[in-house]
Amino acid sequence: MGLTNTPSDLLPGTLELLILKTLVGGARHGYGIVEHLRLTSEDVLRVGESALYPALQRLLFNGWVKAEWGTSENNRRARYYTLTAAGRKQLAAERAEFNRMIGAIQRVLGTT
Amino acid sequence: MKKLFPRLLYLLRWSRQAADLREEIETHRALRQDALERDGLGAEDAAHASRRAIGSIPLAIEDSREVWAIRALDHTRQDVRDAVRGLRKSPGFALVIVATLALGIGANTALFSIFNSLIMRPLPVRDPGSLALLRDGSWSYPVWQEINARADDLFDGAVSWSDQTFDLTQGGRTVPVDGAYVSGRFFDVLGVPAFRGRMLTAADDSGAPPKGPVAVVSHRVWRQLFGSADDIVGRQLTVLIQRQRFPFTVVGVMPPDFSGVAVGRVADVVLPFAAEPLLEGRDSALPKTGRSWLEIMIRLKPGQTIDHANARLRRVQSQIRDAVLPGLRGSPAFAARYLTDPLTLAPAATGASRLRREFGSPLFAMVVAVGLVLLVACANLASLLLARALARREELSVRLALGGTRWRLARLLFLESFLVAMIGAALGLVFAKWGSALLVRQLGTWERTVSLDLALDWRVLAFTATLACLCAISAGVAPMFAVKSVAPGEALKSAGRAMAGDRRFAVRGALVVAQIAVSFVLVIAAGLFLRTFASLSQLPLGFVPEPLVVVDVNLFASGIPPEERGARVERLRDAAAAVSGVRSVSVSQMRLLTGGGWATNNRVAVGDGPMLPEDRRYRVWRNATTPGWFDTMGIRLRGGRDFTERDRIGGPPVAIVNEAFVRRYLSGEQPIGQRLRVDSDDGPRFEIVGVAADAVYTTPRDGMLPTMYVPLAQREPQEWNSWRNVILTMKAVPGQRARVERDVAMALTQADPTLVFRSGTFDQMLVATMTRERLVAMMSGFFGALALLLAGLGLYGMVVQAVTARRTEIGLRMALGAEPTRIVRLVFRRLGALIVIGLALGLAGSWWAARFVAPLLFQVQARDPMTFSGTAAVLIAVGLIAAWVPARRAASLDPATVLREG
Repeated sequence: MGLTNTPSDLLPGTLELLILKTLVGGARHGYGIVEHLRLTSEDVLRVGESALYPALQRLLFNGWVKAEWGTSENNRRARYYTLTAAGRKQLAAERAEFNRMIGAIQRVLGTT
Repeated sequence: MKKLFPRLLYLLRWSRQAADLREEIETHRALRQDALERDGLGAEDAAHASRRAIGSIPLAIEDSREVWAIRALDHTRQDVRDAVRGLRKSPGFALVIVATLALGIGANTALFSIFNSLIMRPLPVRDPGSLALLRDGSWSYPVWQEINARADDLFDGAVSWSDQTFDLTQGGRTVPVDGAYVSGRFFDVLGVPAFRGRMLTAADDSGAPPKGPVAVVSHRVWRQLFGSADDIVGRQLTVLIQRQRFPFTVVGVMPPDFSGVAVGRVADVVLPFAAEPLLEGRDSALPKTGRSWLEIMIRLKPGQTIDHANARLRRVQSQIRDAVLPGLRGSPAFAARYLTDPLTLAPAATGASRLRREFGSPLFAMVVAVGLVLLVACANLASLLLARALARREELSVRLALGGTRWRLARLLFLESFLVAMIGAALGLVFAKWGSALLVRQLGTWERTVSLDLALDWRVLAFTATLACLCAISAGVAPMFAVKSVAPGEALKSAGRAMAGDRRFAVRGALVVAQIAVSFVLVIAAGLFLRTFASLSQLPLGFVPEPLVVVDVNLFASGIPPEERGARVERLRDAAAAVSGVRSVSVSQMRLLTGGGWATNNRVAVGDGPMLPEDRRYRVWRNATTPGWFDTMGIRLRGGRDFTERDRIGGPPVAIVNEAFVRRYLSGEQPIGQRLRVDSDDGPRFEIVGVAADAVYTTPRDGMLPTMYVPLAQREPQEWNSWRNVILTMKAVPGQRARVERDVAMALTQADPTLVFRSGTFDQMLVATMTRERLVAMMSGFFGALALLLAGLGLYGMVVQAVTARRTEIGLRMALGAEPTRIVRLVFRRLGALIVIGLALGLAGSWWAARFVAPLLFQVQARDPMTFSGTAAVLIAVGLIAAWVPARRAASLDPATVLREG
């Protein structure tokens, strides 16, 4: 059951980019983020917790997201992540950088 | 290294963060389990599957931690561990370094903490920066009253005080305590709050305080004399003066850190000026314009500059002068000069201190000297650490070969020296605490207690920390040179085949030169100060102190009426005379060698001549003695006669003067038979009956001063009233002085059990007059010797290493037929150059620095050729000895052995 995608399967920094994008829609907890990614990518991106949580910590450390404790739909304590202003700016920058990378990769792949 | 603070904060709370993460992930898993159950899995299977999917939680947590962790910090921790391990591997080496640094830093800190508390620390009062002292010297009470009346207008208030010694009686015992008279608003203007009760107020200092005389005591007195009593306010304090007991009501306790504005002297009991006439009676100094006995300090208004304050004060100076002048009795000439010099204020944030005036510059010289010693010690450390780094080349090159960066290696070596510097500094602080207390005790003499607050405040700690860092840097940089020359592959080749000349020794050579130069300066200083002390000690005294025992009797302490005191002194004299081994006993009013005494400021009239104007520069010192005093003291009479038993009250007043007196006032005249008036025209006319040889009165440094003696028996009975002490001087049989001193003390106690007295010898008193010079000579001698020793060791170490490194070469040379003397010469040639350069630098430095120590010297030139050449000789000798030992060893090498090993 290929439930997890290791971070190395993605380009470095892509996971963070995806998380930031996910949070544009509003606060989510870890599971919410994973589910959002899975659904919107039509089951292609399945992010494992061992990749997700360090990534969230990196975002926290850089001040791009902030976390608050809340209650999940199953009545447990869960940490909800929200995008900060800095995170929004970072998202824009990373998005541009990502597009540049993808463009470059495609150009390479385009040549025979 | 960005965001260091949030990182640290986060890592410090790591266990909580980990728990949060664990909980968060567990929620995650539960949510997934719910989802799986919704997809139709059984609860058991769903739980199992969700757990499997989650993977390793510890790994996720560890990865999260990595985000926050700081690699550099981890590395540093590892380096510290390595450094400690490295030092523990060679405990002897570590011990030598730590001990050297502890001594060096400790001595520096000790001196600096004295320097700090005596000179740098501001008074513990409100806004000390706005205080200014009225210079120079003391003022009379009328002058103070005039300034005080204008103080609130001209400035932001003014204070005045006068240091005093009060005798407190406590349960039948009399305890002398240092205290002061102060103006009523003293504490108010200074901004010193009461620790208990209240401080003095203006009302306390008015003519008749409403509830009787009051006093404020220091925190120390409260603790020691009153046992920290809670009901201290309202308790009685009995001050004894002229055998009368004056009760004072304690109204408050001063805060623990405040003990008056005179640094180095604690005011334990503070009375308002209004108490002075109460204690002194008709001798009160308050109304006397001619008595200068108090100091005045003002507080500047906010924003007021000292120049502005000076200008305002000088504008009213003539008013002040006009107001006080009518009270000035004495010569018109003196009155004309009185208070004409412009009044001058000087910043006084650190208070005023006699001790500072006396010890300020020698202390500064010693701070510099001990700093130089530390420099020499650091050079030694640098040398040692460098040698050690060189010895560890193999280890270092292995580290390099295994991928360590040079920076990392340098950091490791630096950390080692940093570590020892810190340990040294910590031990140094302990040593300093002890050493500074010891030194402060040395500042005191048998008649002066010195107390300085030696608390380690931020200045001292900052100083020590800076020193430790400087030591670490200066000692730690040297080994880095070693790192620079290490090559990664070197460990694989065989090391230690160095031939002639090696760049590595250049660094050590430079260090040795510096050490020699600095030691030279220090030894010069030691030589100069020792010679100063020696010339002071050899000054003629004019009397023969060796057989003398001196007893200082306090007449006030046991409460005998004044009219009986003469008879009492006679009784004591007889008791002392009866002790076996006593050749003669004489009594005098004044003791010699106190630095002061009973004097008149040039107010002398000879025959019918005019009374000379008051002039402090020409003092005539006075004493009253019993017949035989000159003989006891060993002062020869140059003419005329000694006092006799017939020179009593009722007989014609007689006097004996010394030769210095004759030179100043009776030049060319026959002194015997001349008549003198002293102090005032209406006093007695003394007939000069004898001329005594000169003898030191104040201190040997002051030399022979004009002195006038009168018979003790001709002093009026009421005059006994104002003398606190009389002096008994015993001449002992040679070799029995110590026993006589003991027996006399016993005999006196037997004759009068309530007697309060202190006995001593002139040697002790002589020592007290030279406290400063003795201390400076002692310390500079010690520092000079220490620097010399360190420099010698440094030199020795360098030569040993140089010889060891060149063993192969030396062996080769010897095998080829070089004489042992040539080998010795080889070693010496290079060394000679170092010594000569060091001496030249030291000479230049000393020549330049000499002018700064000149004021501290006595009868010695600051560039004394004998001291300079002697120092050079000593240093050359030390250098030769340090080099001779290893050079000899090199010359006695067996070439065959060396070559086989190499």
